[in-house]
Amino acid sequence: MSVDVTPAVGVGEVQPPASGLLSRRPAWLSQNLVTALILMVAGYAFGHWIGNVISSGRVWVTTAAENDAAIVLGLLFGVVGWLLGIGALNYPLAKLIGRDTVPQERTDWTKYFRFSLTHKVVGKQYLIMVLLFFFTGGLLAMAIRTELLTPTTHIIGPGTYISIVGEHGTIMMMMASSLVVGPLGNYLIPLMIGSRRMAFPRIEAASFWLFTAGYFVILTALPLGGFPTGWTGYAPLQNQAGVGMDSYLVGFLVISLGMILAGFNQIATIINYRAPGLTWGRMSIFVWSVLITSVLLATASPTLTIACVAGLLDRTVPTAFFLNVHGGSSYLWQNLFWFFGHPEVYIMALPGFGIVAELLPVFCRKPLFAYRVGAAGLVGVGLLSYFVWQHHLFQSGINPDMRPLFMLTTELISIPTGFVFLIGLGTIYKSKMRFEVPMLFCLAFYFNFLIGGITGVFLSDVPVNVTLHGGFFVLSHFHYTILGGLVFAFFGGVYYWTPKVLGKTLNKRLGQIHFWMMFVFFNLTFFPLFLVGLFDQPRRVFEYAVRLQTLNDFASVSAYLLGASFVVFVVNFVWSIWIDPKTAPANPWDSNGLEWQTESPPPWYNFERIPVVLADPYHYSEPVPVPVADLAPDNFAEAAGNGVAAAAMAGAGTGGASSGGSSAGTQDGSD
Amino acid sequence: MTEITPSPHSLQGMGTPEEAAYEVRAHEGALWTGSRLLIAIYAFACAALAFAYFYLRSANSDHLWRPHGVSAPADIGSAIMAFTVAAAAINIYGIRRLRRGGLLDWEVAGWTVLLGGLIALGLQCWEFTRLSFFPGSSGYASVFIGWSVINCVLLVSGSYWTETLLARHLRLRRAHADEGGDRYEVLTPRSTRINIVSSAHFWVFIALIGVFFWVFFYVAI
Repeated sequence: MSVDVTPAVGVGEVQPPASGLLSRRPAWLSQNLVTALILMVAGYAFGHWIGNVISSGRVWVTTAAENDAAIVLGLLFGVVGWLLGIGALNYPLAKLIGRDTVPQERTDWTKYFRFSLTHKVVGKQYLIMVLLFFFTGGLLAMAIRTELLTPTTHIIGPGTYISIVGEHGTIMMMMASSLVVGPLGNYLIPLMIGSRRMAFPRIEAASFWLFTAGYFVILTALPLGGFPTGWTGYAPLQNQAGVGMDSYLVGFLVISLGMILAGFNQIATIINYRAPGLTWGRMSIFVWSVLITSVLLATASPTLTIACVAGLLDRTVPTAFFLNVHGGSSYLWQNLFWFFGHPEVYIMALPGFGIVAELLPVFCRKPLFAYRVGAAGLVGVGLLSYFVWQHHLFQSGINPDMRPLFMLTTELISIPTGFVFLIGLGTIYKSKMRFEVPMLFCLAFYFNFLIGGITGVFLSDVPVNVTLHGGFFVLSHFHYTILGGLVFAFFGGVYYWTPKVLGKTLNKRLGQIHFWMMFVFFNLTFFPLFLVGLFDQPRRVFEYAVRLQTLNDFASVSAYLLGASFVVFVVNFVWSIWIDPKTAPANPWDSNGLEWQTESPPPWYNFERIPVVLADPYHYSEPVPVPVADLAPDNFAEAAGNGVAAAAMAGAGTGGASSGGSSAGTQDGSD
Repeated sequence: MTEITPSPHSLQGMGTPEEAAYEVRAHEGALWTGSRLLIAIYAFACAALAFAYFYLRSANSDHLWRPHGVSAPADIGSAIMAFTVAAAAINIYGIRRLRRGGLLDWEVAGWTVLLGGLIALGLQCWEFTRLSFFPGSSGYASVFIGWSVINCVLLVSGSYWTETLLARHLRLRRAHADEGGDRYEVLTPRSTRINIVSSAHFWVFIALIGVFFWVFFYVAI
């Protein structure tokens, strides 16, 4: 009988990079961003050629004067080339011949342009990428507000305008789905659960590079003529649109695959890699939020994948999923899209809840109020989010008799959301707050999300929904929840965790300027737009009533200044990290969080010894400090459970061997 | 007893033996969790397709859900379903034999499963060329094409999983024989066993989905 202890997938991520390159290849031959870009272009050309060979001369191609199959195959092969070029497919291909590939990690700055298996590198890669998404979408928002400066004189044509609106919405939605789980989740979750690694580092890295591929794909929509549907991609307009629509569908398809992988990896990590003693009741509320978000990512996104596949089949084969005249239904797209789309709203909101609930106790120096209620609230929101999607169809393809049911489920979801609010208020109540920059963002989150949430309850009401549907009131509502909620929480998290991640503190004065500009001009931009919506200005239309120009101009100027606030953030980041870096104390906020119990920035192994967790991280007002973890535990095997002690005995001397039985039946993994 | 030492890029030298054992157990747990999650993810995708089937069938837009005489070739569809179910059953049989120490039986079963999966995949591709209807001619035709694409993905996934298990097993067996061990000795570490059992569950899932959609498209039409 023999025992295989071939390393777990990606165990190599904790390998200390000895020095320089561990790869056997010369640097110029190794896979990186440049090879990925080259193969992406080559893949696009190849796919385009294949598409032309397959469908040239077909009736639907010659009559439409455009070849969607060529574009779609070009984009898909481009993504495959991208993954090949970056090295994401090395391992899956090597497995076909039974080989394990040796992870190659570099220690210099070029690791950020490679397929890295280190969760901290992936977290930083994600951070840069989500900011790139965010600033691209933000520039498009500036273009939209510029066009809306005047009601009838136009800078942009109507076709271009709707393309920019659609591109802005799609890019922002793609970004927001990974805004927290991508950078903060990947970087912090192992640290917060006392692990040295993610469960599936290759899947983690693949999720990032798919996310990046999605960025390039969705950008191709503009040179391809854009898409007229907005970010929701409604049929039958989707079927009638030009080839820019293919970029939308392929882009969302690729992003949905990335989201599935990201959620998959986070779930497996949080369930299995928690340090001994880290029970569910001791887990930080941020980890809870990432877990619930990941469940939504892994289970709601497949519906989007199928919807995109159906859309692509309609445009290429062509099938007729969404064409009523051929036996399909345009409402089918709406159902599939929103079955993903509404959980998506909570995919964006829940991590924001998690961040603010995590930060409040630190700056209030009080335990998190009603921790278990907060965790239950997150679970409740996650569960209910699957049962509300039809409120997006109140005005279109829903049986009117079904409206009250979905109105009720939508209103119900405000109850667990209220739990999350209450734990925040309970924590703040009678506390001695420290108004540090992260705390300011947390307080702004509650202010903004209250407005976004309450207007959401209004909109769940059928009569109000019917009246306000498709206008700027709805637009303002979701900007208050996503930009006012998630993005504020994200920046709070960035200011809070930058000393952990980079070992440097962002400049406080610039941070305050950033915050106040962002908070004031966000509200000055979007609050007037509630009024614009109440006065019946529709979304996605580039002309409007002359009487609404003052309000629109006010919103546009505020939007420019809101955009300027992000420039302040970039200046602050560059200044504090590179130009005038100030080394941060090891635990600048006096946090009890497990992630702060190790060095800043964390070493490659995260923790010298896997900690044994002793308490939840929210014991701030105890007269005698409660240690959150034993960082040099003598009783590790005991704390880790009986199985580990036995396995360690068997594996002693082999550096981690696990003993195995002689038959598959005795230990089939069900334990 | 032969020990195969861990790869040099493992946790060796980093932690205590207890910690290393903890990591290995965590990895095994992650494999178990991951494989069940994979099934859940595919289940949601297939549920979306089933929703499309029933939605279009009940909507019957322009009475074009399924015009008279439109149906997919039942003989090919039944053969695909039969091969898929057989692959799942043989996989279960192989695991039972492995539990009793029948390594060779599991190997033969594994290769048979792979063959069955590839034949089903080939038939699924061939079926595209034998359709008597235009893909966009009706709701039924559209969902059928969608299902066929998804079934190809399912079969490729299952076959890939089985193939990689067999390839890894062959590599291990060869390494074991090179060390002077008996090449028919059972080489089933816990993580591999979890992988094998999980792949069998995945095949059962593919077979169940295959049977459901076979009923939808060929029986209850």
